[in-house]
Amino acid sequence: MKLEGIHQLDAPRERVYQCLVDPEVLQRCIPGCERLEKTGDNTFAATIRAGVGSIKGVFNGTARLEDLREPEHLRIVVDSKGAPGFLKGSGDLDLEHAENGTKVNYSGDVQVGGTIASVGQRMIQGTAKMMATQFFTSLNAEAGTQAGEPPPQHGFFRTALRWFSGWLRNIFRKH
Amino acid sequence: MTNNYVGKRVKRTEDPRLIRGLAHYVDDVALPGTLHVTFVRSIYAHAKITGIDTSAALSTPGVVAVYTGQDVAGKIGPVPCASALPELKVPDHRVLATDKVYFVGHPIAAIVATDRYAARDAVDLVMVDYEELPVVTDVEQAANGGPVIHEAFGDNIAYKLTSGEGDIDAAFTAADRTVKQRILHNRLAPIAMEPRGVLARYFPGEEELTIWSSTQIPHLMRTQVALMIGIPENKLRVITPEVGGGFGSKLNVYSEEALLGWIAMQLGKPVKWIETRRENMQATIHGRGQVGDIEVGFKNDGTLTGLRYSVFADLGAYHQLLTPAIPTLTGLMLSGAYKIPAIQMNITGCFTNKMATDAYRGAGRPEATYVVERALDLVAAELGVDPAEVRRKNFPSPDEFPFHTATGLDYDSGDYETALNKAQEIIGYAQLREEQKKARDEGRLIGIGVSTYVEICALGPSQAMPAGGWESATVRIEPTGKVTVLTGASPHGQGQETSFAQIVADELGVNINDVTVIHGDTGVVQYGIGTFGSRATAVGGTAVFVAVQKLKEKAQKIAAHMLKADASHILFEGGKYSLQAAAAASATGVSEPVVPVGQAPAGALPEPETDGKSNLTIQDIALAAHLAKDLPPDTEPGLSATYFFEPKNFTFPFGTHIAVVEVDHETGDIKFLRYVAVDDCGRVINPMLVDGQVHGGIVQSIGQAMYEEVVYDEQGQLVTGTLMDYAVPRAKHIPNFELDRTETPSPVNPLGVKGVGEAGTIGATPAIVGAIVDALAPFGVRHLDMPVKPENVWRIINGN
Repeated sequence: MKLEGIHQLDAPRERVYQCLVDPEVLQRCIPGCERLEKTGDNTFAATIRAGVGSIKGVFNGTARLEDLREPEHLRIVVDSKGAPGFLKGSGDLDLEHAENGTKVNYSGDVQVGGTIASVGQRMIQGTAKMMATQFFTSLNAEAGTQAGEPPPQHGFFRTALRWFSGWLRNIFRKH
Repeated sequence: MTNNYVGKRVKRTEDPRLIRGLAHYVDDVALPGTLHVTFVRSIYAHAKITGIDTSAALSTPGVVAVYTGQDVAGKIGPVPCASALPELKVPDHRVLATDKVYFVGHPIAAIVATDRYAARDAVDLVMVDYEELPVVTDVEQAANGGPVIHEAFGDNIAYKLTSGEGDIDAAFTAADRTVKQRILHNRLAPIAMEPRGVLARYFPGEEELTIWSSTQIPHLMRTQVALMIGIPENKLRVITPEVGGGFGSKLNVYSEEALLGWIAMQLGKPVKWIETRRENMQATIHGRGQVGDIEVGFKNDGTLTGLRYSVFADLGAYHQLLTPAIPTLTGLMLSGAYKIPAIQMNITGCFTNKMATDAYRGAGRPEATYVVERALDLVAAELGVDPAEVRRKNFPSPDEFPFHTATGLDYDSGDYETALNKAQEIIGYAQLREEQKKARDEGRLIGIGVSTYVEICALGPSQAMPAGGWESATVRIEPTGKVTVLTGASPHGQGQETSFAQIVADELGVNINDVTVIHGDTGVVQYGIGTFGSRATAVGGTAVFVAVQKLKEKAQKIAAHMLKADASHILFEGGKYSLQAAAAASATGVSEPVVPVGQAPAGALPEPETDGKSNLTIQDIALAAHLAKDLPPDTEPGLSATYFFEPKNFTFPFGTHIAVVEVDHETGDIKFLRYVAVDDCGRVINPMLVDGQVHGGIVQSIGQAMYEEVVYDEQGQLVTGTLMDYAVPRAKHIPNFELDRTETPSPVNPLGVKGVGEAGTIGATPAIVGAIVDALAPFGVRHLDMPVKPENVWRIINGN
C-alpha cells in the first residue's frame, strides 16, 4: 500500500533534519510511541501503541534509518508486529527549502497483515494520514525550539490546537 | 391416500420458535461450569513457526489451559478428506499448525478460559515467532512454478484429471465455428447467518463424550471425530441443535470439532467455542474459485458439436472433507441442458496459501452451468441469433429420456422446452425484445439474460459418493397415537420438519400436528448421511415414505386381525382401515373380494374385539400394537418401521431463468427490471418451501454475480475479512421474483421428487451476467467476469 503526503514546517531544513534523526524527539512526536531505543548506528527498537478503528494494540519492532543525506533526505525502514497483526515497510523523506521554513515530502510503501489487514485495510490510508499529521504537527513544535532547550509539551489537545492554529495561519498566508 | 397436505403451502412448523427467538442454537445450550475456547490464528499466509511462547497467556487470570500443535501431536488424528481421486496428493492436515502455517487464519493454539473475554484477551498474549516464506495466491502461478506450499509434494498440483466421452478432436473438426472464453468463478464465502460453534462435554464415568456442533452431517462427523480422537464411535454422541444455515460450509469435519471434544476429555469440563464472523471469513471453507477456458464447437445452424473446458481449481492450502471432489462435479454437468456429442474437461487442482474451498450451495455445478450458459450466449452472439433459440435448438426432446450425456450421466427425466416456453410467455419475451430495441434507440441500456439450466441433485447413489449416498428414516406411532419420524437427513433451515410431516400425515391419514420430525441427534436417530446436494427430500423423504409403507403393512395385518378379516380385504383410506372401504373400492371397480361387515372370514377368531367397529384409525392400531394383548401370530409388538433408501440414480431438476436489467449510463449501476424463474424440481411437496429455496438461491446468485468476492492480496492477506468489506446483497438489491413451475416427476424415487435446494444458485448467475452483458452489447461486450460491479460497467461505458 502506498502512502504519501506533503507537510509544511516552520523551522529551517537543518533543524528539521536534526529532529528527524533524534530518537528522543521522535519518541515524543510519533503518536502512541512508548519506547524508542537506539540499538546501533541508526537502528532503533520501538514500542508503539496504535490501531485502526477498533483494532488497537501494541506493536513491537525495529526501525532503521538509511540513505542519510543531511539535510535533504533520509529513509526509514520499519518492521513491527503486535496483537492486531504486523506492519512493515519503508518510507522516503525529502526536505526542501521553502519560504518560511521547510517542505517535507514523504512517500512510502507499507504492508500490513493479520486482523488489521482484514478489518482495517480500507481505513489504513486515513489513519496513516491522521498519524502523519499528528507527527509533523508535533515535529513542527519540536523544531521550533533550539537544541538544548526544554522540549515543548505534547498531547492530543495540544497537538490538535497546534494543527488548528497552523491551519488558520495557512489560510491567512494565502489571503 | 387422502392427500390433505402434500402439494399445499403448509406453513413451516419450525418458524414459530425461530421467529420468537425460542429456538436453541449451539450457543444457546448452557451447561454449568462451561469453559470457553478461543484460537490463536496465523497472521501470515505462509511462514515457519520458530517459536510459540504461551507463558504470558497462561499466567492471565481466568486462563485454564493453552494447547499448541505440539501438545496435540499424535493425540488427535488429521482432519479428514473423503475424496478419493487417482493420485490425489493429500497433505497432513493437523488440527493445529505445528511447524508451518499455510494460510491466514490457520489455527496455531487453543486457549481455554473461564469466560469468553478472558479467552479472547489471552489470544493477544501468545507470542508466535514466524519466519516468513514466499506466498502464492494466484492459482495459475501456483500451478506453474510458484513457491511450493507442501514441500514433500515438490509442486502445488494436488491432482490432474481428464474426464468426458466422445471424440473431442473430431467434434471440433466437424464444427463450422468455435467460440472460446476465459471465465473466472469468484471465490465466495458461504456466510451462514449462524457461524460455526461447538460445545463438548465428557462424562468420565460413563466414558461418554457429547458434542453439540452446528453441522449438516452429525453422523458422518461422529464417525470422523471418533476416529480422530480415538474413542469408540458409540461413545460419542453428536447433537446438532438448530443450525442457522450451512450452504455446504457445515458439510465438513473441522479441526475445532475434534479439538473441543479432546479438550473436554482432558479437562473434564464442558468447553465451548463460538466462531466469530472474522474467523468465519478466514477459516470456514470458501466456495467456487476456478479459472478456466471454455471452448465450444458448433455448426452454422447452431447445433453444438463439442465442448472443452480446461480449468485451474483453487483448492486452498489443505483439503477439507470434499475439497478436491468439487471441481469434478463441474465436469459432470458440462453438458448442461444440451445434446453435445463430445465433451472433455481437464482439471488441474492446485494448492494456494488460502483457506480451503469446498462445497458451497451448488458445489461445482454452478460453475458448469455458468460456463455452458455463457458459452451458449457467445454462440448466439457469433451467429447473430437469439440466445433462447440456440438453446432450444440443442435441447433433447422429452422422449429422449433417460438422456445419456457425454459426461457419463443419464438424466432421469426432463422437458426443457416447456420450461423455456413458460418463462418466455410469463415475461413476454418477443415483446420484451422489441422494447429493448426501442430503448436502445433511445439510448437506454437494457439487457435480457436467459439461462436454461439442468442440475444434478439428490446425491446420490452410494457408488458415486465418498461415504454412502443413501438416507434413513424411522417412522413410529407411539401408544397415544402421536407419530414420530426420525430422519437421518439433518435439515438445517430447509423446512423438512414440515415437508416430511406432510408426507407422513397424508400417508397415515393423521393430523399434521400429530407428527413430530426428529433429526440431528446421533443418540436418538439411526445412522444417516445428512442434508446437502439437494438430497434431503428426494433421498431422505423417500426413506420416510417407504418406512411409512412398511409400517402400514404391519398395521394392515393388525387391523385385519382386529376386524376379523383377511388382510387383503382391508382397505386403508382417509386414515382408517375398514372393511367398508374395501367394499366401496370394489363397487368402483377395484377387483377386491367383498367381505360384508360382520361376516368374518373362515378361520377368524370368534367374538370380535372391535366393539362393533367396522373401521380403525391408525392410532387405534398403534395402541393395540403397544398393549399387545391380542396381536396376530408372529407379529412383534409396537408399531414402527425403519427404511434405508438407496437411490439408483441422481435426479436432474431443470428450468429457465430470465433476468432483465437496466444499466445506468452515468453511474454504471445495474438495476433489475424483471426476474422470472420457471423451475422444475419434479413433484412438489410444499410449494412455499420450494419458492423459499428458489428465492434464497437466486439471492446468493445475485451476490456472486454482482457483489461477492473473497479477496486475498498478493501476500495472502484476507482483505475481505468482515461484512463491511465482503458485500452480501441486501433487501434493496433484490428484485421481485416472478416464480412458476413445471412438474416433471422423477422416475428415480416413488415420490417423484427431484430437489430444489441449489437450483437458484445454479440457474441464476448466467441469467444475471447474460443480462448485463446483453445490456452492454452496444459497446462490443461479449463477456464480463463476476462480480460485475458498477465500476467495471462504468469503465466500459466510458471507454477506460
